[in-house]
Amino acid sequence: MTPIFGQYLLAIDGTSLPDRQLIGGKAWSIARMRSLGLPVPPAFVITTRACTAFLDTGSLPATLGDELATGMAWLEAATGGTFGGGPRPLLVSVRSGAAVSMPGMMDTVLNLGINDATQTALGELAGDAAFAHDTHRRFLDLYARIVLKGELAELDPQATATRWRADITQATGQSVPEDPHAQLLAAVQAVFESWNSRRARKYRQHHGIPHTLGTAVTVQAMVFGNLDAASGTGVLFSRNPLTGAPAPYGEYLARAQGEDVVSGRHTPQPLSALAQDLPRVHAELLAAAAILERENNDVQDIEFTIQHSQLYLLQTRAAKRAPAAALRFAIDMVAEGQIDIATALARVTAEQVRAVLSPCLAEGAVAPARLLAQGEPASQGVGIGVVVENTDEAERRALAGEAVVLARAITSPDDVHGMLVCRAIITEQGGATAHAALVSRDLGKPCVVGCGTASVTSLVGQLVTVDGGSGKIYAGALAVTVPDENADPSLVTLTQWAAAAAPLQVLAVAPPGPVLDLNTVVGGADSTQLAGLLAGHAVVRGGAIASPGGVRAALAAGVKIICASPRLPVLLAACEAARELQPQIANDE
Amino acid sequence: MNDLYLALHGVAIKKHAPAAAVAAVVGLPLARAEELLQQATASGRLVDAQSGYALTPAGRMILDNEYSRAYEDLRNDAAFGASYARFERVNTALKQLITDWQTLTIGGQQVRNDHSNAAHDAAVLDRLGALHESFEPVLAQLAGGLPRLTRYAAALTNALERAESGATQWVSDARLDSYHTVWFELHEDLLRVLGRVREE
Repeated sequence: MTPIFGQYLLAIDGTSLPDRQLIGGKAWSIARMRSLGLPVPPAFVITTRACTAFLDTGSLPATLGDELATGMAWLEAATGGTFGGGPRPLLVSVRSGAAVSMPGMMDTVLNLGINDATQTALGELAGDAAFAHDTHRRFLDLYARIVLKGELAELDPQATATRWRADITQATGQSVPEDPHAQLLAAVQAVFESWNSRRARKYRQHHGIPHTLGTAVTVQAMVFGNLDAASGTGVLFSRNPLTGAPAPYGEYLARAQGEDVVSGRHTPQPLSALAQDLPRVHAELLAAAAILERENNDVQDIEFTIQHSQLYLLQTRAAKRAPAAALRFAIDMVAEGQIDIATALARVTAEQVRAVLSPCLAEGAVAPARLLAQGEPASQGVGIGVVVENTDEAERRALAGEAVVLARAITSPDDVHGMLVCRAIITEQGGATAHAALVSRDLGKPCVVGCGTASVTSLVGQLVTVDGGSGKIYAGALAVTVPDENADPSLVTLTQWAAAAAPLQVLAVAPPGPVLDLNTVVGGADSTQLAGLLAGHAVVRGGAIASPGGVRAALAAGVKIICASPRLPVLLAACEAARELQPQIANDE
Repeated sequence: MNDLYLALHGVAIKKHAPAAAVAAVVGLPLARAEELLQQATASGRLVDAQSGYALTPAGRMILDNEYSRAYEDLRNDAAFGASYARFERVNTALKQLITDWQTLTIGGQQVRNDHSNAAHDAAVLDRLGALHESFEPVLAQLAGGLPRLTRYAAALTNALERAESGATQWVSDARLDSYHTVWFELHEDLLRVLGRVREE
């Protein structure tokens, strides 16, 4: 039976799966992992009841402090640590979590429980005093920003904790309590207050979520991946998220914390490093990934930490995936009986298929080509044209039908009119967040930035090929191939499924009879204008008809056949539009 | 700055824009802006190109001189300078945020965000909302020194609210007054006021 501490606290030990509404999505997913027998750091939850009491009265329930003390004692027993003391200090994370996740809620406070005494103990435990000192700094920084809501310059990593506290008091006019229990209570209150933040309220209004539901707060023991050689941290994908291959894929960093990976201070190793160092843990991790994928019926992205040879799963979620992987996951998981065809179709978007079918450099084209310049790849795709430096000239020549590549030392809003019409953008300065990079990605244009002084403006007048994916610029027009949707077995299968499910037909070649060609109609290229243009037409091609907006308009207007090539993106857009319409149909009945 | 310079400044910020967009960015009535833009075109300070108005080299020079004259006090104002330094910090965060909106890091590789992962998009939008809220007081401070900057607050809020309501092209679409477009114009405006050059 799940331990209950008074009116507002529940332990999350996996013996039961409490109502998601009561404990929030985050605690619910921890409880679910524990009930599957998976190792998760011990946690308890302050239920939404405490939040609604706070919202009603404007203050925390009187008994909450005592209940939290009982909860912390349970957590101490579960972990063998001490909250606010040594020799094994217990640090916790505090996170908000409503039944539905929404914007504007409080960010997670990490490492709560660290103070001067526990810093020393943690340093001894990890054999790394600098790590403990930095953990203390990161906690104070998060607490000041999130709980005290102060604006703070970065705390000096070299300074003492006393100095950090003084800096915070000066910047925020409030001090960080010495007592970890008081910090915990303040953090809980900050979560409840964030329920009524402007953005959270607006989100609930927009989505029809009652303001009275409230959020829960999850308090979870922190685990450390840097304590000894049998500790580490990493991420595991249950399948390869780049290629879609049905083999686990991951990164591992021995004797490290998650932030070491994020900060890029250390380069992670492939998962095989873990298999070599800790084979039993590696096997346990793969088994856990298989369970989570099966339970969630989707490829999982799992964050894990190993502390003293003990595996802990920190988070699991549906994996982000490259377009090719999205395709393969869908096909493979249907073949394995994990998902049905309707689900598979819902997991591949029209845009992903267009990405898979986008032109790329032909095999063997690059090897003999002369490399003229290279820089940071900023936006994928291949663009071929004559290099022009002057933006006005580039616009003029492009509008006259010439293929141009815009080369600038640096771009600014002065250049956007040229960027809109060129085939690719190359620059000499800047990195992944440069103006040229941001605008090119937005326009879907190939872009390479930071090629070096005089590297690309010196190419004016030359015909070049820009490969935005590799960041290379080649002399001449290299051969480009366009993948064929009829040549790839996965695409053929998906096309058959989509054609069977779609509410209208999509044909590559128009049937005999009348066809409305939107290329010949004023406004036909603007999907927002199609509603008026499509009425009474059964067969349509051209203009904006193949775009998602165009497909929606076609469906609404009762169009029977869209003529377009490639077919699959249009079919998928039609399936998606039909899914969007479904709830309305259900409501009408 | 008088209305004529304000109109020229609007052209410098808006770039190749029609009169209505120029009028809106500097807060001039449309008819007045049209009159001034035609006047400036006649006197060779602007050209009326097919995509909109643009400064001529002469127009650019005259405008730069006017900036140094009109904003001399602001350029020496320590409080305004400090607020600008805060803008620069948020600017770095905003550029990273837009990059995160446009790309997905998958298995250590950057790929174009095809917006198929709703959780990623929701998290970035949440960050944009938080960034906006933390920036509002900074913009208010800047507008304390130069009241016409208030216009940017409304434009940024408009873009954010449209994006939050599901029209996510308002995050970064260069063809709309999206959050990134307006932000970039504000940055450009501040650089001109302070006589600085943009760095990447």
